[in-house]
Amino acid sequence: MSEKRTAAEKETLREILPEVGTEHRLPATPPPAQYSIETLVPEVRQQTPAVGQRATRLDARLHGLGQTKYIDDLAFPGMLHAKIKRAGVASARIVCIDTRAAEAVPGVMAVLTGREIPVNSFGPSIQDQPVLADERVFHAGDGVAAVAAVTEQIATEALERIVVEYEPLSAVFDPIDAMKEDAPRVHPPAGNVYAHKVIRKGDVERGFAESDRVFEGRYATQMVEHVPIEPHAAIAQWDSNGRLTVHSTLGRITLGRTDLARTLKLPVNRVQVVGTIVGGNFGGKNEISQEPVLALLARKAGRPVKGVYTRREEFVASTTRHPIVMDYKTGVRRDGRILARKVRLVLDGGAYCSWSETTLGKACILSAGPYKIEHLHAEAFAVYTNKTVTGAMRGFGAPQVCFAYESHMDEIAAALGIDPLEIRLLNAFDEGSSSPTGQTLESVVVKASLLKAAQRFGWREPRS
Amino acid sequence: MRAFKLVAARDSGHAVALLTEHGPSVKVLAGGTDLLVDLKSAADVPDVVLDISRAADLKGIAVTERGLRIGALVTHTEIMRSPLVREAVPVLADAAHTIGAVQTRNLGTLGGNLVTCVPSMDSGPALIALDACVAVAGPNGTRELPLAEFFVGPRKTALAPGELLVAIVIPTESLGKPCSFLKFGLRKGQALALVNVAASAWIDPDRHAFVAPRIALGAVAPTVIRAPQAEASLEGRAVTPEAMAEAGRIAATEAQPISDFRASAEYRRELVAVLTRRALAAACARAEGAR
Amino acid sequence: MSELRIMVNGRVRTASVPPETTLLALLREHFGLTGAKLGCDVGDCGACTVIVDGHAVNACLVLAAQADGREVVTIEGLAPADPLHPIQQAFETHASLQCGFCGPGVILSAKALLDGNPDPTTAEIRDALAGNLCRCTGYTKMIEAVRVAAQALRGDRDTGAAAASPPAWSEA
Repeated sequence: MSEKRTAAEKETLREILPEVGTEHRLPATPPPAQYSIETLVPEVRQQTPAVGQRATRLDARLHGLGQTKYIDDLAFPGMLHAKIKRAGVASARIVCIDTRAAEAVPGVMAVLTGREIPVNSFGPSIQDQPVLADERVFHAGDGVAAVAAVTEQIATEALERIVVEYEPLSAVFDPIDAMKEDAPRVHPPAGNVYAHKVIRKGDVERGFAESDRVFEGRYATQMVEHVPIEPHAAIAQWDSNGRLTVHSTLGRITLGRTDLARTLKLPVNRVQVVGTIVGGNFGGKNEISQEPVLALLARKAGRPVKGVYTRREEFVASTTRHPIVMDYKTGVRRDGRILARKVRLVLDGGAYCSWSETTLGKACILSAGPYKIEHLHAEAFAVYTNKTVTGAMRGFGAPQVCFAYESHMDEIAAALGIDPLEIRLLNAFDEGSSSPTGQTLESVVVKASLLKAAQRFGWREPRS
Repeated sequence: MRAFKLVAARDSGHAVALLTEHGPSVKVLAGGTDLLVDLKSAADVPDVVLDISRAADLKGIAVTERGLRIGALVTHTEIMRSPLVREAVPVLADAAHTIGAVQTRNLGTLGGNLVTCVPSMDSGPALIALDACVAVAGPNGTRELPLAEFFVGPRKTALAPGELLVAIVIPTESLGKPCSFLKFGLRKGQALALVNVAASAWIDPDRHAFVAPRIALGAVAPTVIRAPQAEASLEGRAVTPEAMAEAGRIAATEAQPISDFRASAEYRRELVAVLTRRALAAACARAEGAR
Repeated sequence: MSELRIMVNGRVRTASVPPETTLLALLREHFGLTGAKLGCDVGDCGACTVIVDGHAVNACLVLAAQADGREVVTIEGLAPADPLHPIQQAFETHASLQCGFCGPGVILSAKALLDGNPDPTTAEIRDALAGNLCRCTGYTKMIEAVRVAAQALRGDRDTGAAAASPPAWSEA
């Protein structure tokens, strides 16, 4: 090609284009390293080049300029807006759903109900949650139908034209009650206890027998909603090769892709999930939610469909932190040394499993606290209730049990007349201590941290 | 939000005419901090929204022969910044500062706060404690009535169809009266009051005694209420911590709080007793400072 | 329809929108200015904060028609070209934002504060930001950044230089 250019053309090109010689081409094979490559394994607590150094967040500039594009900032030609009708009843049989009036609203391009979902179940571990409730409603936040329309306003108004007839069923709201034999079953015929874990170490009854005093206490935490300032949002669109692309606030896009493909009965290679900067996740955006609904609406309408949760939906229809009822029984020597601990945790597992199993596991393992306990029995249950789905939230079960074992520790200290700091120093893990599940712990800094904090707070100084 | 027809009023007279023209299914829009929230979740929407936010004669704070006149469209931020308010009735600036946050104070109006008329309103108690009146314009002209009569029930005022709140007047005799407002919410900002209390009194310099004490309680009855028995216990009585504490205890018995998810009735009564005592003490401190 | 003529970031913009359109929807959907965010739509979270005629307001609580003839400043109008506005610069240096969603609202609340009060106390900064909720950061670095930006805007030469360098954290 270059031979066909005149000399004059080449001269002009040379002026305006930089000289690119073969030495600037990337080699087909990388050159041998000029320096020795060694794997650096830093010593524990040794300063490494990166840790502790200051760095500017790469996204800081875009955030400050308002240039970061979150999902709701994206739009595509022809895009429709979807809204989901929420059940508003905790437990019911759906007798019938009539969407004809909604379909007739001008500007409504597609309406969807549960029976149109190819595989109407999803979930990160147990697939017990329907995409849209079809025959049964399990909690008030269940979606029962969805609409895609040219504006959000039309979609919202069309939702009200959808008539759903419910036959109320008995419901259970307290997890302890839900464990009883005669409690209403949330997901019949299965019982309400859907996950269980036991950790046994030593002989806890022997430990109590050897204790000078035994303390018992019940601690309970409440349901917490993540309240990310950015609501859940997603945009689904298909191409003419039958490939689905979903832009979503979803955090775990690989997991979500698989779950999404499963609900739509698509091979995974037909599904692309695009994640982007998320406006707060904290665990609440760790699994699919409205994505299958938006995908099916988009397929029906032949146009991209965007769905954004209202703030109210964030509270009733998105996942929350598990409330846990925690029963502690601890045997101690009179000097405060813990000999035995028995823990029972009952996690309010909400209407669906979501991330309850992971939460259960972590809560159970961490329930003993960072303390050397020779005899331990920790048993945890996740129990269905007809309430908002409980799932992943920062800490994953740790904050709840921390509240319990630390409150318990303070109460024991007060009863024994021992300083709350001293009782912890007496019992806390050391380097090489064994965790409740037998893991040998390294980099243990519990006592050093407590002492440093105590010094900073002026713990030992006289208080007014 | 559902669709509605939007009409705008040039001034209060035009607003009254539009209210009459469009009938009962009209909602009045001023700052929008209450109305727009309602419209976004309402099952049914008004046909017409009447935007009065540009009615110039509803703005402004001025001293008249009746007292200090605050236009209904004056925002909470404007009240906080008004030299006239800070001079004559600084308690109104204190109360305005407890409402919402900067953004909602820049939009929200005093008139709107009074017309929305929730029992926990933050502008009401201090105005009641200062014997404020309101001016209402209607098809038959303008009338004035005491603010206490303006509040009829939760979200219910004495506005008749076609009427518009145009101004709030703090009478001349209340200007400069020592007054304090205290609010207790679950947060320091953007919080509804669990209980709010305003207390005002002149202090007789010779006897060092309460003169014309007023105690107004919010969020513990269907509307903002006075505590007449607590007031009576103070009238003419020497200013002492015991007197103020007793007034607080009496005021707590005059409150009619409910228990809800924010607080129990018992806790609210306790708050009334404490806040009344503290508000009285703060009002007295203001009186001392003025002397 | 509401026929509107609004000065947005120094430029006159026109629109014809249904009367129930909020200022937030006008900015995001009609003008493509997506910096103001939809967080709650009821004026609680402050993510939609913009400045109208010099006042920080929740754009979700203002009808577009109410902004007709007014001057609106959004985050996009703060630094249309280099350099960054001192508030943006300080937020970057101090790592004041994490997910960033609340950022535009917070920065505009800060700007509205500093425009009227060039030397605010920490309490005044907190009060000015009280209507902007953040779930990520705990606010401390935002407040420090606003303080530093205030210094820079006052043209304080000594501390202005310090604003460009990272703050000294207490010894870990």
